[in-house]
Amino acid sequence: MTQQELVEAFSAKAQAVNAVVQEVPHMAAALQYVVDVCANKAPAEILADEPETQKGPLGPNKQPTRVQKIVAAPQLAEEDFAALAKLCEEKGFLCLRDNVRKYLAGIDVGVGLAELGVAASGTCLCNTDNEDVRLSGMISEISVLLLKKSAVYPDLPSIADKLRERMGYGEPTYSTFITGPSRTADIERVAAVGVHGPLELHIILLED
Amino acid sequence: MHDALVSRSGYHKEIDQALGDDFLRRTLDTFAVAYRANRAAVFKEVDEKGLIKKVADAKDYACQHMEELYAKFKAEAEKRGVHVHRAKDAADANRIIAEIGKQNKVKRIVKSKSMTAEEIHLKTALEKEGFIVDETDLGEWIIQLRHEGPSHMVMPAIHLSRYQVADDFTKVTGEKQDTDIQRLVKVARVQLRRKFIAADMGVSGCNFAIAENGAVSTVTNEGNARMVTTVPRVHVVLAGLDKLITKIEEVLDAVQVLPRNATAQRLTSYFTLMCGAGQCNAEGSDNGRKIMHVVFLDNGRTQIAKDPLFKQIFRCVRCGACANVCPVFRLVGGHKMGYVYIGSIGLILTYFFHGHDRARILVQNCIGCESCANVCSGGIELPRLTREIRSRLNAEEGNPIEGTLMSAVMKNRKMFHSLMKFASFSTKPFAGGSGNARFMRHLPMAVLGKHGYKALPALAPKPFRDKWAEIMPRVQNPKLRVALFAGCAQDFIYPEELEAAVKVLAAKDVAVDFPMEQTCCGLPLEMMGQRKTSIDVANQNMNAFRGGNYDYIVTLCASCASHLKHGYAEILDGTTSMLQAQAFGAKVIDFSSFVHDVLGLKPEDFNKSDQKVTYHASCHLCRKLNVHDAPRELIADAAEYVPCEEEEVCCGFGGTYSAKFPEISAQILNKKLDHVQATGASRLVVDCPGCVMQLRGGAEKRGMHVKVDHIAELLAENIKK
Repeated sequence: MTQQELVEAFSAKAQAVNAVVQEVPHMAAALQYVVDVCANKAPAEILADEPETQKGPLGPNKQPTRVQKIVAAPQLAEEDFAALAKLCEEKGFLCLRDNVRKYLAGIDVGVGLAELGVAASGTCLCNTDNEDVRLSGMISEISVLLLKKSAVYPDLPSIADKLRERMGYGEPTYSTFITGPSRTADIERVAAVGVHGPLELHIILLED
Repeated sequence: MHDALVSRSGYHKEIDQALGDDFLRRTLDTFAVAYRANRAAVFKEVDEKGLIKKVADAKDYACQHMEELYAKFKAEAEKRGVHVHRAKDAADANRIIAEIGKQNKVKRIVKSKSMTAEEIHLKTALEKEGFIVDETDLGEWIIQLRHEGPSHMVMPAIHLSRYQVADDFTKVTGEKQDTDIQRLVKVARVQLRRKFIAADMGVSGCNFAIAENGAVSTVTNEGNARMVTTVPRVHVVLAGLDKLITKIEEVLDAVQVLPRNATAQRLTSYFTLMCGAGQCNAEGSDNGRKIMHVVFLDNGRTQIAKDPLFKQIFRCVRCGACANVCPVFRLVGGHKMGYVYIGSIGLILTYFFHGHDRARILVQNCIGCESCANVCSGGIELPRLTREIRSRLNAEEGNPIEGTLMSAVMKNRKMFHSLMKFASFSTKPFAGGSGNARFMRHLPMAVLGKHGYKALPALAPKPFRDKWAEIMPRVQNPKLRVALFAGCAQDFIYPEELEAAVKVLAAKDVAVDFPMEQTCCGLPLEMMGQRKTSIDVANQNMNAFRGGNYDYIVTLCASCASHLKHGYAEILDGTTSMLQAQAFGAKVIDFSSFVHDVLGLKPEDFNKSDQKVTYHASCHLCRKLNVHDAPRELIADAAEYVPCEEEEVCCGFGGTYSAKFPEISAQILNKKLDHVQATGASRLVVDCPGCVMQLRGGAEKRGMHVKVDHIAELLAENIKK
């Protein structure tokens, strides 16, 4: 398979498990996408006590919603984060680079970098060693992952060495393979999306 | 947690309740059908058998090197700041985990799903120690609210309806909850978020513990395991020693099978590899690091690893596929098809982990259809192991009376055959019907009780062995020499099936012999756990066919065929007769394969009739012998073949199973006959006299206008002379 075919296969498999896949030409467009997604979504519900936070009307699950939306992007390079923070500021969103643990009650959008993609299952491998990175992919209502097209591999066996390298040193690592949004079929085997993790997963395919 | 399975009557009562649960029946039925199609679709993209073999090999290696892998894992994990413990049994593991909690001043614990935690009843143990424990997997949380155990290893609450869940959620939230499933899922999202945040310690299971780098993995969909392993300051991993695996590649192979087999997914939403005690900014963490412990559970595992046969149970990756395809599970659900562990593997693990008392009755509830062995992620010979447990239980605890009687009779062929002839004579007053549709017509229902769901066959007036001298064909210049293995059902109940086969064989210039010293193949004895007599009988049969210099040993019974071909070598493994069993097995072939593959019968060999004929694939033919096309092509050569829904699903006979669990057998049969009826065929053919007995008896009872025959009879009628 050519790289282009791998990317197409990846997209098809990811969409089959309810991921939204979007190709963009460059990082600036990706950041704009993040801000648009956040602007167009209903404000996140606050699922636990956050005493100092201003609370809006009840959301679909009868929980108060955020008045100020939150985007977390702890993994972005400094200049990219600065650009995103600026876009967020214009919209009035809070843009986090750390301290995500303060907002465990739920944030709007979490932005992460996928280390690589696996075409066979539409999976992203994320390096989530950093706690803020891990949390922002878990407690956000919409998780956005940025994936370079050149980093799509055919299947799991083809990435074994990369994993070994990652995990081979004494430093602790936490690797997360993500395939679609969080889901369950625990009640009557009826598929439902959005249990404890994101309600939606968006994958942004970036040119190198 | 149900415990009625320690008494036979209690167990049957529970089964009756389950069979009367319409919701359960409907859910499991829909699931069974959808699962089969979805599973096939996602496996098409990978080399299924190749991957299963890889899983089996990797797990076998790990089992044989358990201590070495444990030491390596421990060293690597400790290098990365993880504390590694080893618990000898359930009590020890529970104690260690409670200690970790106390040392870290833990009050609240969140759990993600772990069958190993269920095995040791961890939650109850921690609650006794004063901890507040919350399950966070949706299904596990639901059954926690109901104080029940899981009814499936992957879908623990599959036995419950949305209405029951809505009631439980109404109680726990104090607010009336909608029965819409999408909304109910969000109730869990809302209710459990606070619990994740408030928890001091998370307990997770572990799908794989990788020795080369001390990593543990979880495979989940909901995202709760990520929360459990990330949010609290302490993380305890509970892993059976069987979860150890050598290297990353093996895990990557296994996760291509596990989700496909469990839920027909290419991969679950989340698959995580946690390698070391990573960053944790929670208050009270170890200076910004997670306090991480891995507790390995032995609980008999090191002993099982030394068992030459049962060590293969460590290939289990807890995918639950053995339940997904089980016709008995489909009817009664997991609470009746296991104790803590569910499905075929559950029957076996109950024996090892939860006591022989709980296993004794449970291990009887395998119909032996081989569906589970056919899909198992690790290629475990599940039904064989279940039969082995029956025979071990009998050896340990003495035989039940039925088994002892059966053994006494079967050991002596002459006595057995005299009794069969006497039975034919003495039941004559009850027999009715004509031609090959002979039934016991005059038995009072009071005698039959639950067994009244099908008409029982009457014994033939004259067994095949007594007819042989008159019907033996004389073939000039035979191209092949075969011996017939009759099997009890055809010899004494349906000799006409063998006569039909002889006619087909003779028409194609095959010389046929019938060695008189042959007896029962021994499979019924195996099903009853009568190993000693089953070996006696195997030796008798091998001797009966010795010296005949036959090209093939042909049998019309798929179950006999699979037992003669594979079973003898299994039960004689490690004895001096092993080689003989293999040589004998190599010559055994089922009738359809023989006439289709060896004789090469083609459409031009038949006068094709326009009769609509459908097919039931006998379990042992399609799964033990892997024969699929031969019978279907033969039917299409001789008549109009009409495919049937779920053609390869068991008919519910299972030999002695249908006598032990008539209530289940009857339900499986009914479903099968519904499908047959829907084809509109006027005839149903099969490759096994046991299936004939079940299906013909059931069709008769329902008054269906479907003639049920052995395939040999169809072929004999239409073959050109």
